[in-house]
Amino acid sequence: MIKKLLVSPFGWLVGILFSLGICSAALFLGSLEAHSLLNSEIGHHILWNIRLPRVLLAFVIGASLSLAGVMIQSNVRNPLADPSLIGVSGGAALGAALMIVAADLVAIQAQYFIPLAAFIGGILATMAVLKLGRNDMPGGMALLILAGIAINVVAASLIGLLTYLATDSALRHITFWSLGSLASANYFWLTLCSLALLLVCFWLPKQHRKLDAILLGQAEANTMGVDVKRLQIQSIVLVALLAALAVSACGIIGFIGLVTPHIGRMLVGASHRYLLPLSFFLGGSLLVIADGLARTIIAPAELPIGIVTALLGAPVFIWLLIREGRRLQW
Amino acid sequence: MTLKQISLKRNGKQVLHNITGELEGGKIIALLGPNGAGKSTLIQAMAGLLTCTGQIHIDGQNIQEFSAEQLAKNLAYLPQHSQLQFPLTVEEVLSLATLPFKLTRLQQRQQVKALINQWGIESLADKDFRQLSGGEQQRCQIARTYLQLSNMTAENKRGLWLLDEPASSLDLEHQQQLQQVCLRAAKEGHCVVIVLHDLNQALRLADEVWLLEKGELRAQGVATEVMTEALISQVFNVTARRIENSGDSFFIYS
Repeated sequence: MIKKLLVSPFGWLVGILFSLGICSAALFLGSLEAHSLLNSEIGHHILWNIRLPRVLLAFVIGASLSLAGVMIQSNVRNPLADPSLIGVSGGAALGAALMIVAADLVAIQAQYFIPLAAFIGGILATMAVLKLGRNDMPGGMALLILAGIAINVVAASLIGLLTYLATDSALRHITFWSLGSLASANYFWLTLCSLALLLVCFWLPKQHRKLDAILLGQAEANTMGVDVKRLQIQSIVLVALLAALAVSACGIIGFIGLVTPHIGRMLVGASHRYLLPLSFFLGGSLLVIADGLARTIIAPAELPIGIVTALLGAPVFIWLLIREGRRLQW
Repeated sequence: MTLKQISLKRNGKQVLHNITGELEGGKIIALLGPNGAGKSTLIQAMAGLLTCTGQIHIDGQNIQEFSAEQLAKNLAYLPQHSQLQFPLTVEEVLSLATLPFKLTRLQQRQQVKALINQWGIESLADKDFRQLSGGEQQRCQIARTYLQLSNMTAENKRGLWLLDEPASSLDLEHQQQLQQVCLRAAKEGHCVVIVLHDLNQALRLADEVWLLEKGELRAQGVATEVMTEALISQVFNVTARRIENSGDSFFIYS
């Protein structure tokens, strides 16, 4: 039933309306009432320049991380993989931490440079992982993951070192950033992240059967006409792009990339024809809800979104795990 | 397909040594040998999955120059084990066989439906592939590769069907079904290469036998001529007796 819906125009309409509904609800969620948001100048400013880009960015990043999760899990045929596994999050976090500490030491305002440093860090780490991983060797994918883990460990230890050099305010900044926040959302990041997501949405649907074939095994996929090596490289580059942009725009948001694909698979199975559109809507909506909660639960203060995604998603995931019981062996 | 002096070293150990031979359409070739003889490695090399020294040609063209899609239109490969860890249904797995061919979604669905009926696996179609028994998984995978082969027939191509121990988890009824399908594929002009442990099945089924030992071809030729008591006893380290009974031969071991 859900499967048929997902591949019909009506299903897409439902998905779009559902996402729009969640986004609009999130738009008017907050201490200011809808009435004052729509009828005052400051209300207009808050609505169009602060909340709208934030809600839309939450959707775009949620969808990006979720699709990145599907791509990486399918390509490495490992249900425990998530986008951070190829080193991109570790590298980005290191880039950001370096910039935060450096800017603090020389006392300059670096808020625009932090995302840039994160992006460069993320891409550099991914390049290092690709170089170390040597995907052209037999078993190269396992090597790639191990390289990703190694890079993440190196990045984490360097960040640990940096925290000793950091002042109190820089330390708070690093901690807050590493837990993620959409508070600095603007149209610049929205445009950039949307373009990357659009690129992936254009490329990915044509690959859905090839990704299914990879699930059967690399040898099977090769003899079913899939150029596995090429598909894996293309996927990793796109995952790195999505994840690096997401981390740059709003820090590290865990959980979405790992768990949304699993929730999708429990609902429609692993066939990418259904899983990809479902993950897109599910990931986007989930992050919009999480962000709505993050900024209202303890208003006027804000919770880091990483905490909310974990608190919200982990119990749902555990409940699904228990319900599905032993059937869940992926 | 022709194989010329195929050799492969893995971790300093010679796993294939100077294998030369020809695979002709319309024939069933059984690869025999004890564990570790190099049967699976050889069949993987034939499928273009391994880089080895020597040359493998299909219709005069080197297999290394084939694109993945071209290769998939020339051969179908069944590996020894299934590695699926994600919840795909049997129908979804079967439909992947149509991937290399330009078919509409309707044609794909019709082919898969026909295949399911033909193989009598209607009750399995909607099931999660991972929940099937070993034998059921093997039948579905054989069916999947057969569908790939059938699409080559539809394009007037003679393909290569590479089966790595397809009978290992099958019951007697389905072993016989497998034999029938192999014979049909050969009749359609395809070449079937099958790794077998059951020597009697090889005697009944194969036109030609390649007997491997420690990565080398010990013997190659017509099954009844190659599979002598002395050679089988020596290679498999058993005492084998070949019994002839009204034109049929079979082995008993002690």
